[in-house]
Amino acid sequence: MQNANKDYRLEMTGISKSFGIVSVLEKVDLKVKPGEIHALLGENGAGKSTLMKILSGVHQKDAGRVLLNGKEINPKNTHDGQVLGINVVYQELSLVNDLSVAENIYLHKLGASQFWMNWKKINADAQALINSLGFEIDVTAKVSHLSIVQKQIVEIAKALSEDPKVLVLDEPTTVFDPTDTQKLFDNLFKLKESGISIIYISHHLEEIFKIADTVTVLRDGKISGSQPINEIDTDGVIKLMIGRELKDLYPPRTVNVGATPIFEVKNLTAKDTLVKDVSFSVKGGEVLGIAGLGGSGRTETAKLIFGADQKKSGQLFLKGKEIKTNSPVDAVGYEIGLVSENRKEEGLFLPLSIQENISVTNFKAIAGKFGFVNKEKENNNIQNLIEKLNIKTPSAISPVKNLSGGNQQKVALAKWLSIDSKVILIDEPTRGVDVGAKVEIYHLINELAKNGVGVIVISSDMPEIMGIADRILVMKEGSIYGELSKAEFSEENILRYAIGKPLKN
Amino acid sequence: MASALSKPQNSSGGILPFLIKYNTIFIFVLLVIFSAFISDVFFTSVNLSNLLKQVSGIGIISIGMLIVILTGGIDLSVGSLVALLAVAFALLVNIFALPLAILITIMIGFGLGSVSGYLVAYQKMAPFIATLALMTVARGLGFIYSKGSPVTFETYGGLHISNFANNSFLGIPNIAIVFLIIVLLTMVMLRYNVFGRIIIAIGSNEEASRLSGIKVNKYKFLVYAISGALAAIAAIVVAGRTNLGSPNMGMAWELDAIAAVVIGGASLNGGKGSAINTLMGVLILGLISNILNLLNVPSYPQQVVKGGIIIFAVLLQRFENK
Repeated sequence: MQNANKDYRLEMTGISKSFGIVSVLEKVDLKVKPGEIHALLGENGAGKSTLMKILSGVHQKDAGRVLLNGKEINPKNTHDGQVLGINVVYQELSLVNDLSVAENIYLHKLGASQFWMNWKKINADAQALINSLGFEIDVTAKVSHLSIVQKQIVEIAKALSEDPKVLVLDEPTTVFDPTDTQKLFDNLFKLKESGISIIYISHHLEEIFKIADTVTVLRDGKISGSQPINEIDTDGVIKLMIGRELKDLYPPRTVNVGATPIFEVKNLTAKDTLVKDVSFSVKGGEVLGIAGLGGSGRTETAKLIFGADQKKSGQLFLKGKEIKTNSPVDAVGYEIGLVSENRKEEGLFLPLSIQENISVTNFKAIAGKFGFVNKEKENNNIQNLIEKLNIKTPSAISPVKNLSGGNQQKVALAKWLSIDSKVILIDEPTRGVDVGAKVEIYHLINELAKNGVGVIVISSDMPEIMGIADRILVMKEGSIYGELSKAEFSEENILRYAIGKPLKN
Repeated sequence: MASALSKPQNSSGGILPFLIKYNTIFIFVLLVIFSAFISDVFFTSVNLSNLLKQVSGIGIISIGMLIVILTGGIDLSVGSLVALLAVAFALLVNIFALPLAILITIMIGFGLGSVSGYLVAYQKMAPFIATLALMTVARGLGFIYSKGSPVTFETYGGLHISNFANNSFLGIPNIAIVFLIIVLLTMVMLRYNVFGRIIIAIGSNEEASRLSGIKVNKYKFLVYAISGALAAIAAIVVAGRTNLGSPNMGMAWELDAIAAVVIGGASLNGGKGSAINTLMGVLILGLISNILNLLNVPSYPQQVVKGGIIIFAVLLQRFENK
């Protein structure tokens, strides 16, 4: 049917997309009018970003149609998207640090027009654009000298410099204070009046109710609802975002939590990240969950405890004694382990063997005089771990890059099991792991706890964290906003704390 | 099923995958056979002994280069260090007893390497830049201390370096034995020693090493220091052969050392490489010079051939990585 509704600027219909066997989007519809601010909501992993990446040309859809002003479009890359008037400001900043603000704003046009740079015009245009947004930034300054807030504004200015018809903003206000946010909203209203369609992705529900005309909610890659904003309230939106039943993924366990904390964190504040005044304790045998939205400081907290980031202030206590972890070397010395969320970049040595990966934390135990490795000890240790964790591999000397995601994650865990860690921080234990391996990893976490280890699990997967944790801390903007006991566990409660709202009675 | 999930590498048989996997040794053997056919002199003990003597100096610094490259770094200073340390050794051996002169020279080498190590590990300077600077400084110091001309040293008594350097044991030149012992020790270290395992881990993924509780800076510092110490041993060997220390020694040796390591299949990104293959790389480069000399090919075409071999070897490794 070619009778596209002229009321809509953008019509995405029946969009499906899968990566490998994982289906990310299933028959998703999204319709946006000219001069409309359209909020797109959903939990982490619901498919919002993928949908926007299909719109802008980063990803190609498997099925469905995209109409812009009634004409079908098929952007093959972001340049195509930009030419069509679709501009996206992503959550991750994508500026070139070593160039000036003006150069960044007009980067897409630098190659296209003339041979010589017209610095005067570029700088004047860029300055006019920034000023029109109501912010004060010197456009001749290098981007590396800007604050994160200013960088975000430059990103937005860059998108606007291309005369967008559809502007997508992905969590633009995460770094803004209320004044900046208000300025941004004023700008969005202006753009709206000029007829630009804005798709606004945010976790801050109060923002949505301030600015959006329509709200569309994605859940597990499907549309769970799309309504005018005045027909729905916060509770309605939250219900659309969650409302999934807990599957039988999570093995039950008999909790045998120790009486005194094995590990305590007091008023921990970071030097370079947003983590501020974080305090909590874990008992031996307890699985403590840390939840929160992306960017709420969970990973940064784990890295701070582990000594990978620099602390500004705060104390750590292991079994009641104060310890200092100024570097990961110290943390490992106290038998604290960190399984990073990003196993390929930070956790594993991909070209090296399983054996070389696991032993790297454990040389103290397997090496004798002059640092010579006792091969027998090493082989026994590795063989035990491979069997215990059920790592599926032809041999201990196979390169880790040949393993599946689940088995790679097990190797990353095995590194810390081989040194009998007392406290283990596990960041996103099952990201990119298939269901079978997931259950095995949950069993492993249970077993660690059973052996008296203090386990701290960070996860964006709400059913997961509720399934395995005994207690959940919810972080917001670098601090712990609230704590949920097992009886209080629900996706709604986690989400409420994560966006800074009190629990409902 | 375990086997279905992840297949072992190079499980397929056949002669071609085998040759690709052991390409360095394959090229070496091919060159030996080719040389034997093309020249009657090649397989004489005099020629082979000369060949070994010629490659030993570069060979020793190539091992230092290997361990630096394994961490993902590079050491451009080694050629100049050989010159400076050869001059230093010549001056020292005129003053002190031989063992003391050797010890002090190695310590100076370790110290100079430590300068690069400090700049790279603790000042976060790019290895290329830090060692480029040291390369210039060392060459300059070599000329200053030698006053621009070779420093000769005299032979006193029975204990003398040139006796050792120009003699053989069981037909193998002593200095080649020194080189081979260093290769052997490095081989053992890389496989069975924590130090070797850790530098490979650092080169494979520095961030993961840091997050595994490894003192990354300490090890990065040490590899440059060791590379400096090995440059000292190379300098003593070369000075010993010729009875002098010259500031012109070791010209562009760092490039030959890098070439040898790369021909030996090491990755300049770090984490991959072996001592035995570096030995092969050194021998391949030496063989090419040797056979071309026997054929009376002038030195300029020799350089062209050398470059071609490097490209060929690295292209072969591309297959291996696939």
